[in-house]
Order: sequence, then structure tokens, then C-alpha cells
Amino acid sequence: MDLETVKERAGPREFSPEDDMPEEYRKAATRMIQFHANSEIMGAYLERPFIREAPSVERKLAYSAKVQDELGHGQLLYRAAESLGIKSRDQMLDELANGEGKFLNCFHYPMESWVEVPMIAFFVDGAAMRRQATLRRSSWEPYAHAMDKVCFEEGFHIKHGESILAELASGSKKEQEMVQNAFETWWPRIIQFFGPTDDKSTHHDFAAEVGLKQMSNDGLRQAFLNSYVPKAEEYGLEIPDTPTIEHDEETDTYEIAEDELDWDEFFTVSKNEYEGGKHQINARKEAQEAVAWVRESLDESEAATGGHAPQAAD
Amino acid sequence: MIADRYTDWQVHAPTIESDIAIANIAQDELGHARLWYDLLEDFGYTEPDLIWERDPDAFRHSTLCELPFAEGDWADAIVRSYLYDEAEHLRLGALEESSSPRIRDRIGKVTSEEDYHREHAENWLRRLAGGDEGRKRVQEAVDRLFPYALGLFEPVDEVEDDIDDLGLRTRPLEDMRAEWVETVTDTLTAIGIDVERPRIEDGRVAEEDLPEHVGRDGDHTEHWRTQFDEITNTYRELERHDATRLMEDPDDE
Repeated sequence: MDLETVKERAGPREFSPEDDMPEEYRKAATRMIQFHANSEIMGAYLERPFIREAPSVERKLAYSAKVQDELGHGQLLYRAAESLGIKSRDQMLDELANGEGKFLNCFHYPMESWVEVPMIAFFVDGAAMRRQATLRRSSWEPYAHAMDKVCFEEGFHIKHGESILAELASGSKKEQEMVQNAFETWWPRIIQFFGPTDDKSTHHDFAAEVGLKQMSNDGLRQAFLNSYVPKAEEYGLEIPDTPTIEHDEETDTYEIAEDELDWDEFFTVSKNEYEGGKHQINARKEAQEAVAWVRESLDESEAATGGHAPQAAD
Repeated sequence: MIADRYTDWQVHAPTIESDIAIANIAQDELGHARLWYDLLEDFGYTEPDLIWERDPDAFRHSTLCELPFAEGDWADAIVRSYLYDEAEHLRLGALEESSSPRIRDRIGKVTSEEDYHREHAENWLRRLAGGDEGRKRVQEAVDRLFPYALGLFEPVDEVEDDIDDLGLRTRPLEDMRAEWVETVTDTLTAIGIDVERPRIEDGRVAEEDLPEHVGRDGDHTEHWRTQFDEITNTYRELERHDATRLMEDPDDE
């Protein structure tokens, strides 16, 4: 299929592995889905230590399930990315370990306290949900299909995050102050989740033209603010002064003074060069290298038995 | 406590598939812990009494559950869960005919999930023992963990006699331990792992075959204090006085 035909036909779930897609499309889709899969893994990596820190048995149970779901999303998304025939899953996982694989800005920052949990599990997941809901109409069918399951499960994660936020926000004065401090730290990053305004975004035009993306960064950011600014206020959080946000009553939209955000930091993060993020990437790499012996011995026993090694119930 | 240790493997397991599997097992064990804590709450205890505000020296779990994993030691995770799940299987079997209906009610759900854990652990054991590196690592894990696993059948104190006399469980610990030793030594031997049956003196495992710290007698390893501090860190930092319940009472489910 030539690019012109792709652009003409670029509707929701229009293309599948049965279509002969041009390389440009396959590369763009791989980049996008790989980024998404990597983000699931790195988000889970960031959140995992807080299963232990969760202050009730049922919170632990919910949190462990959430982290497991994110891994499951990663698995699903790598499969959707593999179906484009550009990269294998092993290659994408190697790239993530080597610091070449890119992922969401918010997962480059360290998380130190339980009060930060809803920053990820409510706000970041809420922002992700906005984007993911529109990706159910992506033109790459395996991606859109994966989003059905992801969105279904993310709905529970956001409820889990909201429940933790509600508890902290109605807790002691100390808890309220701690959660407000965490919110002030995370808020600019959360706004930057959607990237720079569309005219500065490098990959958007093509992805939109071929239907991979169904909504622009600006549109998504606006939709997020419309629903999450009131929610934050409802839980007694004060929206930080920076960046300046003005609410237009008539159109019910929010205008952000984008120049007040630290875009140098954002682009450092995006290139995997931010210190905190580098630490996360390398720590995960070391953990993966420590179990390389298991993968090697599985490969060996598979080779020795011609693929008839006993299967683990995993 | 063993579920808490398993969560260290989440996002750290050898493959995405094995990661999801160990997360499942951790959640099952957390779910079972929830069922048993809930039963204790019917006797008037609260979750803070039982975990969050409890003196760490009062915990009576086996030290097998509290040992940290060395980084990358997947053989430890597999051997540990194998030894633990075989023991849990027997201990649950002894509760099926418990004189307490609430204990009996909880057994069905727990047993079906434990069957999957045993299958998972056994399959992995065979896979690992099928290669030189894996077999070496499994052997090391068995050498290290076997005495700790024997501790799973050590008595807490004289309360064990009351548990038997009241029919709360229908098989004494000694009896279950003997069967467990037979099962696990047979399985391990069959896959090429050396393991010796413990010496028994007056019906008890000889002291030299038990670990230095058994746990069930209240004597824990140095790792326990660290684990307990980490588990209760948020609760203390936020100065909490109760533990959030999110789900329905298991007796109403």
C-alpha cells in the first residue's frame, strides 16, 4: 500500500497485519507503541516498592494487582508493536535496558513517599487514560484492540488512586500538607505529560495523518484539565501558581502559560538524560541482567530438547 | 510475609510472563492472609493489633518467609515457594475437617489457588534443574533453605496441643512434617538435587538440622526488623490509627 492510500483510508482500526503497510507507517507505529509499552514497564518499576509500603492489607492487594496489570499491558503492547514486523520484543526490551528506549516523562522522577502514589495512580494514570481512550480509534488495529483491555483495567487503577487521594485529603493536617507538597512537585510534570504544544511536537503530523493518533496533544491536555482541575480542587488541593492557568468561563477551557514550564528539563528527560531517570533505567537493567542466567538456561534447554522442554505454568 | 517478599520479584522476574505469574502468587497469598486476619477480627482483634501496631517480636511466622532474596536469585524464589506451598498444602488439608466452621469455609478458595502455586513451582523446578547452571543454583537454594522450611512445622508453644485437642486441625504438626519431608525429598532427589532427611529425636527435628532462628518460637533473623520497619513505614509516617478496608467482609462474599 502506498502512503497516499494509507492517508486516505486512515480510519479507526483500518489496518492490520494482513495489510501490506509502507515502512514509514510501520516505523511510526512501532515508535509509538514501543514508547507506550516501555512506559507501562517503567511505571510499574517505579511503583512496585510501594506495594510493601501500602498501609493496609487490602491496599497492598489492590496495589500489587495494579503493578501486575501494568506488566500485562506492557506484554500486550509489545505484542502489538511486534506485529508491525520492525522489531522483536527482545530487541525492544534490550533497548529499554540500554537506555535507548524512550518512555513517559513522569516515570523518570523518583517516588519517595506513599503520598506521591496518587500523583501517579490518579493524575498520571488519569492523563494516560485520556490519551488511551482516543487510541481505541487508532488506525493500527492490534494497538486499538490492546487499548480496550488497557482502558478497562486503567479504570480500576484510577479508582484505586482516587481512593488513596481521598483518604489522604480527608486525613490529618499532616497528611493534607504532605499530599499538597507532593502535588506541587508533580503538577508541572503532569502538565508536561502531554508534551509541548502541537506546533513544537515533531512526530505528531505524520502520526495524525495516518490515523495512528486520533487527538492532538493540545486537545488531550485541555480535556485532562477540564476534568482534573475541578477534581483536584474537590479534594482540597490548591493548584500551584506555576504555570499560570487561566480559566475561560465562556468556553470552559483552560489556558496555560506554557513558557513558565521547564522545557529544558522536559527534553533532557525525553532523551533519557535526566539523572533520576538514568538511575531508574540502570537499576532496572541491573535487575534484568541478574536474571539473564534464567533466560539463557531456558534457551539452552529449549535448544537441547528441540523446543519440547517442560513448560512452566506461567 | 512471604507474599511481601514475593512482591520484590514484581518487575524483577526473568521474563514478563514469569513476572505476571509471581505477582499472581503474591496476590493469592495476600488474599489468603486477608481471609485469616479477617477471621481473627471476629474475635475482637483489629488489623492494627495484628500487624501495624504489633510488637515485631510477637510475630510467629517461620523465618523462611522473611529471608530477603539475593538479587537475581530466581532459584531461591522457586525453591522457597515449592517448599512453602507443599507445606501449606498439608496444613490446609488438616483444616478441611476443622471443628471451626469459619475455618472450614475458607479452605476451599485457598486450596484451589495453592494447587496452582505447587504446579508453578514444580514446573519451574524441573525446568531449572534441566540445565547445569540452574541445577547448581537450585542445589544451593535447597541447601540454604531446607532447614528454614523445616521450621514451618515447629510448634509455636503449648498452644499447638490445644489446637489439636479442640479439633481445630485434624493432624498434628509432626505427622504433617513427616509427610512433607517424604514428598519434597522424593521430588528433589528425582530431579537430581541432593537433600538429606533431618534427624528426628523424640519426635522433633534435631536442633542441628534447624536454622539458628526458627521464627515460630518468636526468635527471628536480623532481616525481620528491617522488613517490618519497611512494611509499617507509611503507617507510622502518616500517624495512622487504622487500616483501610476496601472490600466486602469475606464472610459476606
